Amino acid sequence: MSISTQRSGGGGFVERAQGGGSSSLADVVALILDKGLVIDVFVRVSLVGIEILTIDARIVVASVDTYLRFAEATNRLDLYEKGGKDLPELVQSVAEGGARGKTTGVIEAAADAVGDVLARGRAEREEGRQRPVRPRPRERHQ
Amino acid sequence: MTVADGTKPTYVYGLVKAGTALPEGLAGLGPSGRVSTIVHGHVAAIVSDVPVDRPLGVRGDLVAHETVLDAVASRAAVVPMRFPAVVEEDSIVEELLAPNEDRFLALLDGLENRVQFTLTGRYEQDAVLHEILEGDPQIAGLREQIRSLPEDATYYLRVRMGELVVEALEDRRDVEAAGIVDRLGPLAVATASNPLAAPEDVVNAAFLVERERLREFEDAVESVGQELAGRVRLRLLGPVAPYDFVDEE
Repeated sequence: MSISTQRSGGGGFVERAQGGGSSSLADVVALILDKGLVIDVFVRVSLVGIEILTIDARIVVASVDTYLRFAEATNRLDLYEKGGKDLPELVQSVAEGGARGKTTGVIEAAADAVGDVLARGRAEREEGRQRPVRPRPRERHQ
Repeated sequence: MTVADGTKPTYVYGLVKAGTALPEGLAGLGPSGRVSTIVHGHVAAIVSDVPVDRPLGVRGDLVAHETVLDAVASRAAVVPMRFPAVVEEDSIVEELLAPNEDRFLALLDGLENRVQFTLTGRYEQDAVLHEILEGDPQIAGLREQIRSLPEDATYYLRVRMGELVVEALEDRRDVEAAGIVDRLGPLAVATASNPLAAPEDVVNAAFLVERERLREFEDAVESVGQELAGRVRLRLLGPVAPYDFVDEE
């Protein structure tokens, strides 16, 4: 990940990240896995698996664990001293926080090799039956 | 694996207008590493070969997809495909480009000279918890109660306090996010909001920005960041390809 905290003319209050190969994996995953155009022609060869995992990871979990985490943070707050994390620590925790959850499971996702999926799609089309496709609400066009 | 001509699996990164020159040195995710275009009429697909002996989805595949698109987007209008997009070579013209040419052209016209930024913001935890404690007597009272009791006896009180804190965070972040997007929205052609992942997340929004207003937009983000310093930490990703702006609805 490329972090530039300083920019010519800028004060460096905003953490910057460039696109392309210098993005963190979390950025890449967030940008390309559930964004972008999906055309029907792709559906039959889409590698099912990645999608499920990312959707699961995006669900906001307001669980007891979350509540206890915030209770703990609230409890240990020193009311008389308004101290924060120093900058490097904070940048790191933000970066790690962003990476956690979003990337879980992506690497081992998609059990099917591309060749197998294509071959199966072809065979199914020749047999004239359709593989069940899960609803993909954002991707309905026409 | 051997495949007949025309059924060769082909990876599609995105779409450009016919005649768009690809940047030098693009690295595809296939074994050849090459990236090229397949043109039909006024549109073209950015394509490469695909590794067929393994599933797609390793880090290198994801990074290659984004890197190719961002590199193209740095100089030309591009419609990104959602990862992963694989078709047989024959289908690119027959099923992808030919039947959708007008629709793709319309999308590309709308993206001409525009790039995307994604802005995320996260509360500085201690600062915002201070604000919440000062403004919410119920939470402050629970905190005092919890601190006066042995930890074993406070489990349900702690869950309750945490729940109230999370609710308070969510209440204030909606207002905060709206304020941020309202400030930056006028500098963008379009905005799109993404779901937030954690209670301390404040904003996650994409902005489609004219290339010629890019610097102006970045400066505005910086000045919002300066105003929020100490409470909210902003992070700006981009310019990247317009991943969030290809929905046609």
